[in-house]
Amino acid sequence: MTKPISSIRRDWVAKTLAGLLLGLVLALAGSGLFVHFASGIGSSVRVQLAMWLVMPVWLGVLGGSYFFHSGARAWLWLGAAAILLVGALASVRLL
Amino acid sequence: MRTEFIRIYKSVHTWTGILSGLALFIAFYAGALTVFKEEIVRWAAPPAAIAATDLAQAHELIARTLAEHPEAARDFKLHLQPAEHLPAPMSWSIKPPDADEHDSLAGRHYLATLDAAGLPAVSETQPSQLGELIDILHRVVGLPFDNDPNRWLMGVIAVLYALALISGVIVLLPSLVKDLFALRVGKNLKRMWLDAHNVVGFISLPFHVVFALTAAVFAFHDGLYALQDHLLYDGRIKEMLRPVGGAKPQARSFDPATMLPPAELVARVQAVVPDFVPDTLQYLQATGPRPVVRVWGHDPQAISPRAPGGFAVVDPYGGRLLSTDYLPGKQDAASTTVSSFFALHFATFGGTPVRWMYFLLGLAGAWLFYSGNLLWIESRRRKQRAENAAPEQRRDFRLLGALTIGTCLGCISGISFAIVAAKGLHGRVDDLNAWLWYVYYACFFAAIGWAFNRGAARAAVDLLWLSAGATLAIPLSSLLALLWPALGLWVNLSTASLGVDVTALLGSLALAWMARETARRARIGPQDSVWSDTQMRNRDTVS
Repeated sequence: MTKPISSIRRDWVAKTLAGLLLGLVLALAGSGLFVHFASGIGSSVRVQLAMWLVMPVWLGVLGGSYFFHSGARAWLWLGAAAILLVGALASVRLL
Repeated sequence: MRTEFIRIYKSVHTWTGILSGLALFIAFYAGALTVFKEEIVRWAAPPAAIAATDLAQAHELIARTLAEHPEAARDFKLHLQPAEHLPAPMSWSIKPPDADEHDSLAGRHYLATLDAAGLPAVSETQPSQLGELIDILHRVVGLPFDNDPNRWLMGVIAVLYALALISGVIVLLPSLVKDLFALRVGKNLKRMWLDAHNVVGFISLPFHVVFALTAAVFAFHDGLYALQDHLLYDGRIKEMLRPVGGAKPQARSFDPATMLPPAELVARVQAVVPDFVPDTLQYLQATGPRPVVRVWGHDPQAISPRAPGGFAVVDPYGGRLLSTDYLPGKQDAASTTVSSFFALHFATFGGTPVRWMYFLLGLAGAWLFYSGNLLWIESRRRKQRAENAAPEQRRDFRLLGALTIGTCLGCISGISFAIVAAKGLHGRVDDLNAWLWYVYYACFFAAIGWAFNRGAARAAVDLLWLSAGATLAIPLSSLLALLWPALGLWVNLSTASLGVDVTALLGSLALAWMARETARRARIGPQDSVWSDTQMRNRDTVS
């Protein structure tokens, strides 16, 4: 399966926004899951660790977002991941 | 990996680098000096009789001072190792209620010691802002105020920096083995600079990852906490963050005279952590309903939780150890993890060798951003030459070259001049702390103006000599103070202070060497370079 190289679109704005916005959603949802599952850690430290967790995830997603073939795909995949993660967080918090 | 992606990430690297490079240069150069902030302040501190702390007398000092100045009881410190910048054992500050939490110098500051008759001698003091100047330049990309908008700007720079790191690694990865261990010194200067940029960048990558992440967190943590409070904690974050370890003190009467002597408090902490070296006792609400003492210090065997070190919380009346949550070596695994983020940024682990390592890595980082900008100019220069046989360089390359030279060397010489001014202007101007800022910015902007006026190649030589001279003035002022005491200068002879002199001397030699090499390159280097004198001469004859 070899696509022509030109199939990779630059889409700077769309990819950057996807990385920034959906990256933040993913990072916050991820930190929420951490807070939920790391209940063995004292609350003060847990809250601090959860805050520290956001940046690496956020910046990692932002940095990786230019690997998508197009801006639309970036939004699609990251959006799907965000829905999954937020859904997972909502369900563990409700259950 | 597809070459197309490499090309995309090369653009990301170029643009994030160009946008953040100069700000990061200032952050790293000033940051490297911030590692030795206290030593620099001690170097500049005016001569004063340093009253050594006699722990046997400290109890009396505290009780008598608080009797005369009850307002100090809210928050005062007992310094176990007084130094040039803190010549008395006891100190406190009265802050205006609206002072920024990061502004450690706001308000009025007092020192207390016991005089010969055993009575408290209290004097108001004006701490030097020299250390804060360097630290603030480091924290908010060379701006003069450490406030929210400037911290957010620093945060944006940190995000760009993180992107530049990620993209730089992606670009380098496919040819890593081939390029990393090859420093091709030779005719192709651009190749050599690129090799050097790659090897410095890649080898110090862990250090840079730490800084990109911690800087972004320091800039945005308030916002992130607020978001998480709203989304995850239902507005209860304040109570969740409150430390649990807070056993109530037992005493009923809070008369400072009945507090345990400081030597006893120190002994109680050292019984738990023998390696811990206490340097400051911070008394909080000494006469209030919840009096505590934080015994601050360092443990060379453990990581320190925060920038000034770590502390144990002790009940000053009963002597019970109330909390070890922030005590180096006594934290649980999760707290140690959080502390390690701070320690990795502030170099508060491993003692002096690690601080020197951070100093050198910080300077290497500054060089990384400087060389990044030069590479941008050099790579575009070559393209230019292919299209055009008579290479008058494009205007934006000349301007970026001048801006790079002016900003970087303006920052170096400005900080050196500010350090010298802290000594040279002492007692000669009314508001020395304001003058330090005037000196720094006058030099910084003059350097940028000079670089635009003279062009990058010539200005680089001039400004490197200026930086070398300004830095040499630091040890020179000490030498002058020794030779001609009548000048009113002084020299502090502690190891810390003399270390500043020696380091500045070495730094000025390095800068002078760079000035000579740059001048040589301007004369005999490739003539189509922005670093060639010829470019300038061509323009002079045209205009």
